[in-house]
Amino acid sequence: MVSLASYLIISLILFVVGLVVMIARKNIVAILLGIELILNAAALNFVAYSRYATNNLDGHIFSLFIIVVAAAEAAVGLAIVIRFFQIKETIHIDEATQLRN
Amino acid sequence: MLQELFGYLSYYIPELMCIVLMTTLLVAEASVKDEHGSRDKIYAYAIAVLGLTLIPLCQNMGKNPVHIFHNAITIDAFSTLVKIIMVLGTMGAIWLSRSSRDIYTNLKSEFAIMAVGVLIGGMLLASANNMLTVYLGIETLSILSYVMSSLKRDESTSTEAGMKYALYGGLSAGVALFGISHLYGTLGSIQFVEMMPKLAGLEGGRLAIVLISFLMFFVGIGYKISLFPFHMWTPDVYQGSPIPVTAFFSIVPKMAGLATLVRVSFVFFTDGSALTVSWIGLMLVISAMTMTVGNVTAIGQSSVKRLLAFSSIGHVGMMILGVVVLNEVGVQAILFYGISYLFMTLIAFYITSHLSDMYGTDTYDVFKGLIYKHPVMAIIMASVLFSLAGMPPFSGFIAKFNIFSVVIEKKYYGIAIVAAVNSVISLYYYMKLAKIMVFGKSDGEERVLGFTFQNQAVIVALFIPVVVLGIFWEQVMVLSGNASVFIK
Repeated sequence: MVSLASYLIISLILFVVGLVVMIARKNIVAILLGIELILNAAALNFVAYSRYATNNLDGHIFSLFIIVVAAAEAAVGLAIVIRFFQIKETIHIDEATQLRN
Repeated sequence: MLQELFGYLSYYIPELMCIVLMTTLLVAEASVKDEHGSRDKIYAYAIAVLGLTLIPLCQNMGKNPVHIFHNAITIDAFSTLVKIIMVLGTMGAIWLSRSSRDIYTNLKSEFAIMAVGVLIGGMLLASANNMLTVYLGIETLSILSYVMSSLKRDESTSTEAGMKYALYGGLSAGVALFGISHLYGTLGSIQFVEMMPKLAGLEGGRLAIVLISFLMFFVGIGYKISLFPFHMWTPDVYQGSPIPVTAFFSIVPKMAGLATLVRVSFVFFTDGSALTVSWIGLMLVISAMTMTVGNVTAIGQSSVKRLLAFSSIGHVGMMILGVVVLNEVGVQAILFYGISYLFMTLIAFYITSHLSDMYGTDTYDVFKGLIYKHPVMAIIMASVLFSLAGMPPFSGFIAKFNIFSVVIEKKYYGIAIVAAVNSVISLYYYMKLAKIMVFGKSDGEERVLGFTFQNQAVIVALFIPVVVLGIFWEQVMVLSGNASVFIK
Protein backbone atom coordinates (compact mmCIF):
# COMPACT_ATOMS: atom_id res chain seq x y z
CA MET A 1 0.00 0.00 0.00
CA VAL A 2 1.46 3.32 -1.08
CA SER A 3 0.85 6.04 1.47
CA LEU A 4 1.11 9.80 1.42
CA ALA A 5 4.37 9.64 3.35
CA SER A 6 6.13 7.62 0.66
CA TYR A 7 5.17 10.16 -1.99
CA LEU A 8 6.39 12.99 0.20
CA ILE A 9 9.70 11.23 0.81
CA ILE A 10 10.20 10.65 -2.91
CA SER A 11 9.44 14.26 -3.71
CA LEU A 12 11.80 15.44 -0.99
CA ILE A 13 14.54 13.24 -2.46
CA LEU A 14 13.83 14.67 -5.92
CA PHE A 15 14.00 18.19 -4.51
CA VAL A 16 17.33 17.58 -2.78
CA VAL A 17 18.78 15.88 -5.86
CA GLY A 18 17.71 18.88 -7.93
CA LEU A 19 19.39 21.28 -5.51
CA VAL A 20 22.58 19.20 -5.47
CA VAL A 21 22.64 19.04 -9.26
CA MET A 22 22.26 22.82 -9.45
CA ILE A 23 25.10 23.41 -7.02
CA ALA A 24 27.52 20.65 -8.01
CA ARG A 25 27.27 20.41 -11.79
CA LYS A 26 29.16 22.89 -13.95
CA ASN A 27 27.32 22.18 -17.18
CA ILE A 28 24.56 24.73 -17.76
CA VAL A 29 22.24 22.22 -19.42
CA ALA A 30 22.61 19.97 -16.39
CA ILE A 31 21.73 22.91 -14.15
CA LEU A 32 18.55 23.45 -16.18
CA LEU A 33 17.75 19.77 -15.64
CA GLY A 34 18.17 20.36 -11.91
CA ILE A 35 15.50 23.08 -12.09
CA GLU A 36 13.18 20.62 -13.82
CA LEU A 37 13.70 18.10 -11.00
CA ILE A 38 12.76 20.71 -8.39
CA LEU A 39 9.62 21.68 -10.30
CA ASN A 40 8.62 18.04 -10.69
CA ALA A 41 9.14 17.42 -6.98
CA ALA A 42 6.63 20.18 -6.28
CA ALA A 43 4.20 18.84 -8.88
CA LEU A 44 4.38 15.37 -7.31
CA ASN A 45 3.65 16.89 -3.91
CA PHE A 46 0.57 18.64 -5.24
CA VAL A 47 -0.88 15.52 -6.80
CA ALA A 48 -0.13 13.37 -3.74
CA TYR A 49 -1.69 15.86 -1.33
CA SER A 50 -4.67 16.22 -3.62
CA ARG A 51 -5.22 12.46 -3.65
CA TYR A 52 -4.66 11.68 0.03
CA ALA A 53 -5.07 14.76 2.19
CA THR A 54 -7.18 17.60 0.92
CA ASN A 55 -9.97 15.99 -1.13
CA ASN A 56 -10.19 18.75 -3.71
CA LEU A 57 -8.91 19.21 -7.23
CA ASP A 58 -6.75 22.29 -6.62
CA GLY A 59 -3.60 20.18 -6.58
CA HIS A 60 -4.31 18.52 -9.91
CA ILE A 61 -4.97 21.86 -11.59
CA PHE A 62 -1.83 23.31 -10.05
CA SER A 63 0.35 20.45 -11.31
CA LEU A 64 -0.97 20.94 -14.85
CA PHE A 65 0.02 24.59 -14.68
CA ILE A 66 3.45 23.60 -13.35
CA ILE A 67 4.03 21.36 -16.38
CA VAL A 68 3.12 24.17 -18.78
CA VAL A 69 5.27 26.75 -17.02
CA ALA A 70 8.22 24.35 -16.76
CA ALA A 71 8.10 23.81 -20.52
CA ALA A 72 8.08 27.56 -21.17
CA GLU A 73 10.92 28.14 -18.76
CA ALA A 74 13.03 25.35 -20.27
CA ALA A 75 12.47 26.76 -23.76
CA VAL A 76 13.63 30.24 -22.78
CA GLY A 77 16.51 28.88 -20.70
CA LEU A 78 17.78 26.69 -23.52
CA ALA A 79 17.49 29.54 -26.02
CA ILE A 80 19.67 31.73 -23.82
CA VAL A 81 22.16 28.88 -23.30
CA ILE A 82 22.40 28.38 -27.07
CA ARG A 83 23.17 32.08 -27.48
CA PHE A 84 25.79 31.80 -24.75
CA PHE A 85 27.32 28.80 -26.52
CA GLN A 86 27.46 30.64 -29.84
CA ILE A 87 29.37 33.50 -28.23
CA LYS A 88 31.66 31.64 -25.86
CA GLU A 89 31.77 28.20 -27.52
CA THR A 90 31.37 26.49 -24.18
CA ILE A 91 28.52 25.77 -21.76
CA HIS A 92 30.66 25.65 -18.67
CA ILE A 93 29.24 27.84 -15.89
CA ASP A 94 32.70 28.95 -14.77
CA GLU A 95 33.10 30.80 -18.07
CA ALA A 96 30.29 33.17 -17.09
CA THR A 97 32.45 35.54 -15.10
CA GLN A 98 32.36 38.80 -17.02
CA LEU A 99 29.94 40.49 -14.65
CA ARG A 100 31.78 40.96 -11.39
CA ASN A 101 32.70 43.79 -9.09
CA MET B 1 -22.99 31.74 -14.59
CA LEU B 2 -22.08 33.35 -17.89
CA GLN B 3 -23.71 36.60 -16.82
CA GLU B 4 -21.60 36.55 -13.67
CA LEU B 5 -18.47 36.04 -15.74
CA PHE B 6 -19.21 39.05 -17.92
CA GLY B 7 -19.90 41.05 -14.79
CA TYR B 8 -16.41 40.16 -13.59
CA LEU B 9 -14.88 41.17 -16.89
CA SER B 10 -15.89 44.78 -16.33
CA TYR B 11 -13.35 44.88 -13.48
CA TYR B 12 -10.71 43.25 -15.63
CA ILE B 13 -10.63 45.71 -18.55
CA PRO B 14 -7.07 47.05 -17.94
CA GLU B 15 -5.52 43.59 -18.08
CA LEU B 16 -7.58 42.67 -21.14
CA MET B 17 -6.42 45.85 -22.87
CA CYS B 18 -2.80 44.95 -22.16
CA ILE B 19 -3.29 41.43 -23.49
CA VAL B 20 -4.87 42.76 -26.70
CA LEU B 21 -2.06 45.31 -26.96
CA MET B 22 0.59 42.60 -26.65
CA THR B 23 -0.95 40.38 -29.33
CA THR B 24 -1.54 43.23 -31.75
CA LEU B 25 2.02 44.44 -31.21
CA LEU B 26 3.26 40.97 -32.12
CA VAL B 27 1.31 41.07 -35.36
CA ALA B 28 2.36 44.63 -36.13
CA GLU B 29 5.99 43.82 -35.42
CA ALA B 30 5.89 40.91 -37.83
CA SER B 31 4.41 43.00 -40.62
CA VAL B 32 6.59 46.07 -40.21
CA LYS B 33 9.46 46.86 -42.53
CA ASP B 34 12.71 48.40 -41.41
CA GLU B 35 11.59 51.97 -41.75
CA HIS B 36 11.70 54.52 -39.02
CA GLY B 37 8.24 55.89 -39.70
CA SER B 38 6.42 52.61 -39.14
CA ARG B 39 8.40 51.88 -36.00
CA ASP B 40 7.38 55.23 -34.58
CA LYS B 41 3.77 54.33 -35.23
CA ILE B 42 4.22 51.17 -33.19
CA TYR B 43 5.64 53.23 -30.34
CA ALA B 44 2.80 55.73 -30.49
CA TYR B 45 0.29 52.88 -30.53
CA ALA B 46 1.84 51.08 -27.55
CA ILE B 47 2.11 54.19 -25.41
CA ALA B 48 -1.37 55.38 -26.37
CA VAL B 49 -3.00 52.07 -25.39
CA LEU B 50 -1.04 51.95 -22.13
CA GLY B 51 -2.21 55.49 -21.46
CA LEU B 52 -5.80 54.44 -22.16
CA THR B 53 -5.57 51.62 -19.60
CA LEU B 54 -5.18 54.34 -16.97
CA ILE B 55 -8.85 55.31 -17.50
CA PRO B 56 -10.41 51.97 -16.40
CA LEU B 57 -7.76 51.75 -13.69
CA CYS B 58 -8.83 55.10 -12.29
CA GLN B 59 -12.45 53.96 -12.46
CA ASN B 60 -11.53 50.81 -10.53
CA MET B 61 -9.98 52.96 -7.79
CA GLY B 62 -13.42 54.22 -6.82
CA LYS B 63 -15.25 50.89 -6.95
CA ASN B 64 -15.91 48.65 -3.99
CA PRO B 65 -13.30 45.90 -3.63
CA VAL B 66 -14.33 42.56 -5.10
CA HIS B 67 -12.96 39.06 -5.54
CA ILE B 68 -13.46 37.96 -9.13
CA PHE B 69 -13.01 34.70 -11.05
CA HIS B 70 -13.82 32.45 -8.07
CA ASN B 71 -11.55 34.27 -5.63
CA ALA B 72 -8.54 34.04 -7.93
CA ILE B 73 -8.18 37.80 -8.43
CA THR B 74 -8.85 40.69 -6.09
CA ILE B 75 -9.64 44.10 -7.51
CA ASP B 76 -9.25 46.73 -4.82
CA ALA B 77 -7.82 50.21 -4.52
CA PHE B 78 -4.45 48.87 -3.33
CA SER B 79 -3.81 46.59 -6.29
CA THR B 80 -5.18 49.22 -8.67
CA LEU B 81 -2.80 51.90 -7.42
CA VAL B 82 0.13 49.49 -7.76
CA LYS B 83 -1.03 48.76 -11.32
CA ILE B 84 -1.13 52.48 -12.11
CA ILE B 85 2.47 52.82 -10.90
CA MET B 86 3.51 49.85 -13.03
CA VAL B 87 1.75 51.16 -16.15
CA LEU B 88 3.47 54.54 -15.76
CA GLY B 89 6.82 52.79 -15.29
CA THR B 90 6.27 50.70 -18.42
CA MET B 91 5.37 53.76 -20.45
CA GLY B 92 8.52 55.51 -19.25
CA ALA B 93 10.73 52.54 -20.06
CA ILE B 94 9.23 52.11 -23.54
CA TRP B 95 9.77 55.79 -24.27
CA LEU B 96 13.35 55.51 -23.03
CA SER B 97 13.97 52.49 -25.27
CA ARG B 98 12.95 54.57 -28.28
CA SER B 99 15.92 56.90 -28.03
CA SER B 100 18.39 54.55 -26.37
CA ARG B 101 21.16 53.15 -28.50
CA ASP B 102 21.59 50.27 -26.09
CA ILE B 103 18.82 48.31 -27.79
CA TYR B 104 19.35 47.24 -31.38
CA THR B 105 17.10 49.08 -33.80
CA ASN B 106 15.56 45.92 -35.17
CA LEU B 107 14.71 44.72 -31.65
CA LYS B 108 13.07 47.90 -30.42
CA SER B 109 9.48 46.89 -30.92
CA GLU B 110 10.25 43.53 -29.32
CA PHE B 111 11.27 45.41 -26.22
CA ALA B 112 7.81 46.99 -26.16
CA ILE B 113 6.13 43.60 -26.62
CA MET B 114 8.01 42.02 -23.76
CA ALA B 115 7.61 45.03 -21.50
CA VAL B 116 3.86 44.79 -21.92
CA GLY B 117 4.08 41.05 -21.21
CA VAL B 118 5.96 41.65 -17.97
CA LEU B 119 3.38 44.30 -17.10
CA ILE B 120 0.60 41.72 -17.52
CA GLY B 121 2.46 39.36 -15.16
CA GLY B 122 2.92 42.19 -12.69
CA MET B 123 -0.78 43.05 -12.79
CA LEU B 124 -1.62 39.40 -12.16
CA LEU B 125 0.77 39.36 -9.21
CA ALA B 126 -0.48 42.63 -7.74
CA SER B 127 -4.05 41.41 -7.52
CA ALA B 128 -3.34 37.72 -6.85
CA ASN B 129 -5.63 36.17 -4.29
CA ASN B 130 -4.60 32.53 -4.43
CA MET B 131 -1.34 30.65 -4.67
CA LEU B 132 -1.87 29.63 -8.30
CA THR B 133 -2.23 33.24 -9.40
CA VAL B 134 0.84 34.19 -7.39
CA TYR B 135 2.86 31.44 -9.07
CA LEU B 136 1.61 32.27 -12.57
CA GLY B 137 2.27 35.96 -11.97
CA ILE B 138 5.83 35.33 -10.81
CA GLU B 139 6.55 33.09 -13.79
CA THR B 140 4.98 35.38 -16.39
CA LEU B 141 7.06 38.17 -14.96
CA SER B 142 10.26 36.12 -14.76
CA ILE B 143 10.30 34.23 -18.04
CA LEU B 144 9.89 37.40 -20.08
CA SER B 145 12.45 39.16 -17.90
CA TYR B 146 15.06 36.54 -18.79
CA VAL B 147 14.60 37.33 -22.47
CA MET B 148 14.61 41.07 -21.84
CA SER B 149 17.90 41.03 -19.99
CA SER B 150 19.61 39.10 -22.80
CA LEU B 151 18.16 41.41 -25.44
CA LYS B 152 21.58 42.74 -26.47
CA ARG B 153 22.19 39.37 -27.95
CA ASP B 154 25.53 39.90 -29.69
CA GLU B 155 27.26 40.87 -26.49
CA SER B 156 28.45 38.28 -24.06
CA THR B 157 27.68 40.41 -20.99
CA SER B 158 24.00 40.68 -21.83
CA THR B 159 23.69 36.98 -22.60
CA GLU B 160 25.50 36.18 -19.40
CA ALA B 161 23.12 38.43 -17.46
CA GLY B 162 20.12 36.68 -18.98
CA MET B 163 21.56 33.28 -18.21
CA LYS B 164 22.35 34.09 -14.60
CA TYR B 165 18.89 35.56 -14.20
CA ALA B 166 17.28 32.45 -15.69
CA LEU B 167 19.24 30.03 -13.49
CA TYR B 168 18.78 31.93 -10.21
CA GLY B 169 15.16 32.67 -11.12
CA GLY B 170 14.36 29.05 -11.95
CA LEU B 171 15.88 27.89 -8.67
CA SER B 172 14.04 30.43 -6.53
CA ALA B 173 10.72 29.82 -8.28
CA GLY B 174 11.19 26.07 -7.77
CA VAL B 175 11.94 26.47 -4.07
CA ALA B 176 8.92 28.77 -3.65
CA LEU B 177 6.75 26.26 -5.47
CA PHE B 178 7.92 23.45 -3.19
CA GLY B 179 6.92 25.60 -0.22
CA ILE B 180 3.52 26.34 -1.77
CA SER B 181 2.91 22.62 -2.30
CA HIS B 182 3.39 21.90 1.40
CA LEU B 183 1.24 24.88 2.36
CA TYR B 184 -1.47 23.42 0.15
CA GLY B 185 -1.12 20.03 1.82
CA THR B 186 -1.18 21.29 5.40
CA LEU B 187 -3.77 24.03 4.99
CA GLY B 188 -5.98 22.16 2.54
CA SER B 189 -6.48 24.81 -0.13
CA ILE B 190 -4.72 27.23 -2.43
CA GLN B 191 -7.22 30.05 -1.79
CA PHE B 192 -5.96 32.69 0.62
CA VAL B 193 -9.47 33.03 2.08
CA GLU B 194 -9.68 29.33 2.95
CA MET B 195 -6.07 28.95 4.09
CA MET B 196 -6.14 31.81 6.60
CA PRO B 197 -8.55 30.34 9.21
CA LYS B 198 -6.67 27.02 9.24
CA LEU B 199 -3.49 28.75 10.44
CA ALA B 200 -4.91 29.40 13.91
CA GLY B 201 -5.42 25.77 14.90
CA LEU B 202 -1.97 24.53 13.98
CA GLU B 203 0.49 23.08 16.45
CA GLY B 204 3.53 20.84 16.71
CA GLY B 205 4.84 19.26 13.53
CA ARG B 206 2.31 20.91 11.25
CA LEU B 207 3.24 24.35 12.52
CA ALA B 208 6.89 23.60 11.80
CA ILE B 209 6.04 22.48 8.25
CA VAL B 210 4.01 25.65 7.66
CA LEU B 211 6.80 27.82 9.01
CA ILE B 212 9.39 26.22 6.73
CA SER B 213 7.00 26.37 3.78
CA PHE B 214 6.41 30.07 4.30
CA LEU B 215 10.16 30.57 4.41
CA MET B 216 10.48 28.77 1.07
CA PHE B 217 7.62 30.80 -0.39
CA PHE B 218 9.38 33.90 0.81
CA VAL B 219 12.48 32.90 -1.20
CA GLY B 220 10.45 33.31 -4.39
CA ILE B 221 9.18 36.78 -3.55
CA GLY B 222 12.38 37.92 -1.88
CA TYR B 223 14.25 36.98 -5.01
CA LYS B 224 11.95 39.04 -7.23
CA ILE B 225 12.39 42.17 -5.14
CA SER B 226 16.07 41.35 -4.49
CA LEU B 227 16.08 41.14 -0.71
CA PHE B 228 19.15 40.02 1.17
CA PRO B 229 20.35 37.20 0.82
CA PHE B 230 18.75 36.76 -2.59
CA HIS B 231 20.12 40.00 -4.02
CA MET B 232 23.26 38.55 -5.61
CA TRP B 233 21.82 38.47 -9.11
CA THR B 234 20.67 42.10 -9.09
CA PRO B 235 23.91 44.00 -9.83
CA ASP B 236 25.03 41.47 -12.43
CA VAL B 237 21.72 41.47 -14.27
CA TYR B 238 21.36 45.25 -14.01
CA GLN B 239 24.83 45.79 -15.39
CA GLY B 240 24.54 43.31 -18.22
CA SER B 241 21.10 44.35 -19.42
CA PRO B 242 20.49 47.28 -21.76
CA ILE B 243 19.72 50.47 -19.79
CA PRO B 244 15.98 50.72 -20.64
CA VAL B 245 15.62 47.15 -19.40
CA THR B 246 17.43 48.05 -16.19
CA ALA B 247 15.13 51.03 -15.65
CA PHE B 248 12.16 48.79 -16.27
CA PHE B 249 13.41 46.09 -13.87
CA SER B 250 13.91 48.53 -11.06
CA ILE B 251 10.24 49.57 -11.15
CA VAL B 252 7.74 47.04 -12.45
CA PRO B 253 8.85 43.66 -11.01
CA LYS B 254 9.76 45.31 -7.72
CA MET B 255 6.38 46.97 -7.26
CA ALA B 256 4.59 43.73 -8.18
CA GLY B 257 6.67 41.68 -5.74
CA LEU B 258 6.19 44.25 -2.97
CA ALA B 259 2.42 44.18 -3.55
CA THR B 260 2.41 40.39 -3.15
CA LEU B 261 4.53 40.61 -0.02
CA VAL B 262 2.14 43.16 1.47
CA ARG B 263 -0.92 41.10 0.63
CA VAL B 264 0.52 37.82 1.92
CA SER B 265 1.69 39.48 5.14
CA PHE B 266 -1.68 41.10 5.70
CA VAL B 267 -3.69 37.98 4.96
CA PHE B 268 -1.68 35.52 7.01
CA PHE B 269 0.17 37.44 9.71
CA THR B 270 -2.08 39.87 11.48
CA ASP B 271 -3.37 37.85 14.43
CA GLY B 272 -0.44 38.14 16.85
CA SER B 273 0.31 34.40 16.97
CA ALA B 274 3.76 32.82 17.22
CA LEU B 275 3.90 32.68 13.42
CA THR B 276 3.29 36.42 13.17
CA VAL B 277 5.96 37.26 15.71
CA SER B 278 8.56 35.19 13.89
CA TRP B 279 7.51 36.72 10.55
CA ILE B 280 7.96 40.25 11.91
CA GLY B 281 11.34 39.33 13.38
CA LEU B 282 12.45 37.83 10.08
CA MET B 283 11.34 40.87 8.10
CA LEU B 284 13.10 43.25 10.50
CA VAL B 285 16.40 41.39 10.15
CA ILE B 286 16.05 41.09 6.38
CA SER B 287 15.17 44.74 5.99
CA ALA B 288 18.18 45.85 8.03
CA MET B 289 20.52 43.52 6.12
CA THR B 290 19.11 44.50 2.72
CA MET B 291 19.53 48.21 3.38
CA THR B 292 23.03 47.83 4.76
CA VAL B 293 24.32 45.51 2.06
CA GLY B 294 22.79 47.61 -0.72
CA ASN B 295 24.11 50.93 0.52
CA VAL B 296 27.54 49.80 1.71
CA THR B 297 28.28 47.93 -1.53
CA ALA B 298 27.12 50.90 -3.58
CA ILE B 299 29.99 53.00 -2.22
CA GLY B 300 32.72 51.08 -4.01
CA GLN B 301 31.10 50.93 -7.44
CA SER B 302 32.61 52.56 -10.50
CA SER B 303 29.72 52.01 -12.91
CA VAL B 304 26.70 54.29 -12.50
CA LYS B 305 24.37 51.51 -13.61
CA ARG B 306 25.71 49.26 -10.86
CA LEU B 307 25.45 52.13 -8.39
CA LEU B 308 21.77 52.55 -9.23
CA ALA B 309 21.28 48.78 -8.92
CA PHE B 310 22.73 48.70 -5.41
CA SER B 311 20.86 51.83 -4.40
CA SER B 312 17.63 50.20 -5.57
CA ILE B 313 18.41 47.29 -3.23
CA GLY B 314 18.77 49.82 -0.42
CA HIS B 315 15.47 51.48 -1.31
CA VAL B 316 13.62 48.17 -1.31
CA GLY B 317 15.05 47.43 2.14
CA MET B 318 13.59 50.74 3.26
CA MET B 319 10.19 50.04 1.70
CA ILE B 320 9.98 46.65 3.44
CA LEU B 321 9.79 48.52 6.77
CA GLY B 322 6.26 49.53 5.76
CA VAL B 323 5.34 45.83 5.68
CA VAL B 324 6.87 45.12 9.09
CA VAL B 325 4.48 47.37 10.98
CA LEU B 326 1.48 45.51 9.50
CA ASN B 327 -1.00 48.37 9.57
CA GLU B 328 -2.67 50.63 7.04
CA VAL B 329 -0.31 53.54 7.66
CA GLY B 330 2.60 51.29 6.68
CA VAL B 331 0.94 50.38 3.38
CA GLN B 332 0.25 54.05 2.78
CA ALA B 333 3.95 54.78 3.30
CA ILE B 334 4.95 52.01 0.87
CA LEU B 335 2.59 53.28 -1.82
CA PHE B 336 3.83 56.85 -1.47
CA TYR B 337 7.42 55.62 -1.58
CA GLY B 338 6.61 53.62 -4.71
CA ILE B 339 5.09 56.62 -6.48
CA SER B 340 7.97 58.94 -5.69
CA TYR B 341 10.62 56.30 -6.41
CA LEU B 342 9.08 55.70 -9.84
CA PHE B 343 9.76 59.25 -11.04
CA MET B 344 13.21 59.53 -9.45
CA THR B 345 14.46 56.27 -10.96
CA LEU B 346 13.12 57.02 -14.40
CA ILE B 347 14.92 60.38 -14.51
CA ALA B 348 18.17 58.92 -13.21
CA PHE B 349 18.10 56.20 -15.85
CA TYR B 350 17.10 58.62 -18.64
CA ILE B 351 20.13 60.78 -18.01
CA THR B 352 22.52 57.88 -17.44
CA SER B 353 21.24 56.27 -20.61
CA HIS B 354 21.86 59.34 -22.71
CA LEU B 355 25.33 59.96 -21.34
CA SER B 356 26.42 56.35 -21.68
CA ASP B 357 25.11 56.29 -25.26
CA MET B 358 27.23 59.35 -25.96
CA TYR B 359 30.46 58.11 -24.42
CA GLY B 360 29.97 54.37 -24.84
CA THR B 361 30.60 53.66 -21.17
CA ASP B 362 28.79 54.26 -17.91
CA THR B 363 31.55 55.07 -15.43
CA TYR B 364 31.44 58.13 -13.18
CA ASP B 365 33.68 59.94 -15.65
CA VAL B 366 30.85 60.55 -18.11
CA PHE B 367 29.27 62.84 -15.50
CA LYS B 368 32.39 65.00 -15.16
CA GLY B 369 31.60 68.68 -15.49
CA LEU B 370 28.09 68.02 -16.67
CA ILE B 371 26.96 71.36 -15.25
CA TYR B 372 28.98 73.22 -17.91
CA LYS B 373 27.96 70.95 -20.73
CA HIS B 374 24.24 70.76 -20.11
CA PRO B 375 23.05 72.78 -17.10
CA VAL B 376 19.40 71.65 -17.21
CA MET B 377 20.39 68.01 -17.23
CA ALA B 378 22.90 68.49 -14.44
CA ILE B 379 20.53 70.41 -12.19
CA ILE B 380 17.76 67.86 -12.64
CA MET B 381 20.14 64.95 -12.06
CA ALA B 382 21.56 66.59 -8.93
CA SER B 383 18.07 67.25 -7.57
CA VAL B 384 17.08 63.66 -8.24
CA LEU B 385 20.18 62.44 -6.43
CA PHE B 386 19.27 64.67 -3.46
CA SER B 387 15.77 63.27 -3.60
CA LEU B 388 17.00 59.67 -3.73
CA ALA B 389 19.13 60.39 -0.68
CA GLY B 390 16.04 61.69 1.09
CA MET B 391 16.77 65.41 1.32
CA PRO B 392 14.02 68.03 1.53
CA PRO B 393 12.31 69.65 -0.33
CA PHE B 394 11.99 66.71 -2.73
CA SER B 395 9.57 63.81 -2.70
CA GLY B 396 12.22 61.36 -1.50
CA PHE B 397 12.31 63.17 1.82
CA ILE B 398 8.57 62.81 2.41
CA ALA B 399 8.72 59.15 1.37
CA LYS B 400 11.50 58.37 3.85
CA PHE B 401 9.86 60.51 6.52
CA ASN B 402 6.66 58.44 6.26
CA ILE B 403 8.56 55.18 6.65
CA PHE B 404 10.43 56.53 9.69
CA SER B 405 7.26 57.80 11.31
CA VAL B 406 5.41 54.47 11.02
CA VAL B 407 8.42 52.57 12.36
CA ILE B 408 8.89 54.89 15.32
CA GLU B 409 5.17 54.85 16.04
CA LYS B 410 5.48 51.08 16.50
CA LYS B 411 8.51 51.64 18.77
CA TYR B 412 11.01 49.70 16.62
CA TYR B 413 13.79 52.11 17.56
CA GLY B 414 16.66 49.79 16.63
CA ILE B 415 15.63 49.48 13.00
CA ALA B 416 14.93 53.21 12.81
CA ILE B 417 18.55 53.88 13.78
CA VAL B 418 19.78 51.39 11.17
CA ALA B 419 17.63 53.12 8.54
CA ALA B 420 18.94 56.55 9.55
CA VAL B 421 22.56 55.38 9.33
CA ASN B 422 21.81 53.93 5.91
CA SER B 423 20.35 57.22 4.74
CA VAL B 424 23.61 58.91 5.67
CA ILE B 425 25.63 56.28 3.81
CA SER B 426 23.45 56.68 0.72
CA LEU B 427 23.88 60.45 0.95
CA TYR B 428 27.64 59.92 0.69
CA TYR B 429 27.65 58.07 -2.62
CA TYR B 430 24.91 60.15 -4.19
CA MET B 431 26.80 63.29 -3.29
CA LYS B 432 30.00 61.84 -4.72
CA LEU B 433 28.25 61.65 -8.08
CA ALA B 434 26.78 65.15 -7.67
CA LYS B 435 30.22 66.49 -6.78
CA ILE B 436 31.72 65.03 -9.96
CA MET B 437 29.01 66.72 -11.99
CA VAL B 438 29.67 70.15 -10.51
CA PHE B 439 33.40 70.23 -9.69
CA GLY B 440 34.78 67.58 -12.02
CA LYS B 441 36.91 68.81 -14.90
CA SER B 442 35.77 67.34 -18.18
CA ASP B 443 38.43 66.37 -20.71
CA GLY B 444 36.91 68.17 -23.65
CA GLU B 445 34.75 71.27 -23.51
CA GLU B 446 32.21 69.77 -25.88
CA ARG B 447 28.50 70.07 -25.18
CA VAL B 448 26.07 67.23 -24.69
CA LEU B 449 24.74 66.63 -28.16
CA GLY B 450 21.65 64.95 -29.40
CA PHE B 451 19.56 65.51 -26.30
CA THR B 452 16.52 66.59 -28.24
CA PHE B 453 13.79 68.92 -27.10
CA GLN B 454 11.45 65.94 -26.86
CA ASN B 455 13.73 64.22 -24.36
CA GLN B 456 14.19 67.39 -22.36
CA ALA B 457 10.43 67.85 -22.19
CA VAL B 458 10.01 64.28 -20.92
CA ILE B 459 12.65 64.76 -18.26
CA VAL B 460 11.16 68.04 -17.08
CA ALA B 461 7.69 66.49 -17.05
CA LEU B 462 9.00 63.61 -14.93
CA PHE B 463 10.83 66.06 -12.69
CA ILE B 464 7.72 68.08 -11.83
CA PRO B 465 6.24 65.31 -9.61
CA VAL B 466 9.58 64.94 -7.80
CA VAL B 467 9.35 68.57 -6.68
CA VAL B 468 5.60 68.84 -6.34
CA LEU B 469 5.30 65.67 -4.26
CA GLY B 470 7.93 67.08 -1.93
CA ILE B 471 5.87 70.17 -1.18
CA PHE B 472 2.22 69.43 -1.88
CA TRP B 473 2.18 65.81 -0.80
CA GLU B 474 -1.18 65.74 0.97
CA GLN B 475 -3.25 64.79 -2.08
CA VAL B 476 -1.12 61.80 -2.90
CA MET B 477 -1.00 60.77 0.74
CA VAL B 478 -4.79 60.80 0.84
CA LEU B 479 -4.84 58.81 -2.40
CA SER B 480 -2.49 56.16 -1.09
CA GLY B 481 -4.28 56.26 2.26
CA ASN B 482 -7.52 55.35 0.51
CA ALA B 483 -5.70 52.58 -1.31
CA SER B 484 -4.16 51.14 1.84
CA VAL B 485 -7.44 49.63 3.10
CA PHE B 486 -8.04 46.38 1.30
CA ILE B 487 -10.07 43.27 1.88
CA LYS B 488 -8.81 39.89 2.95
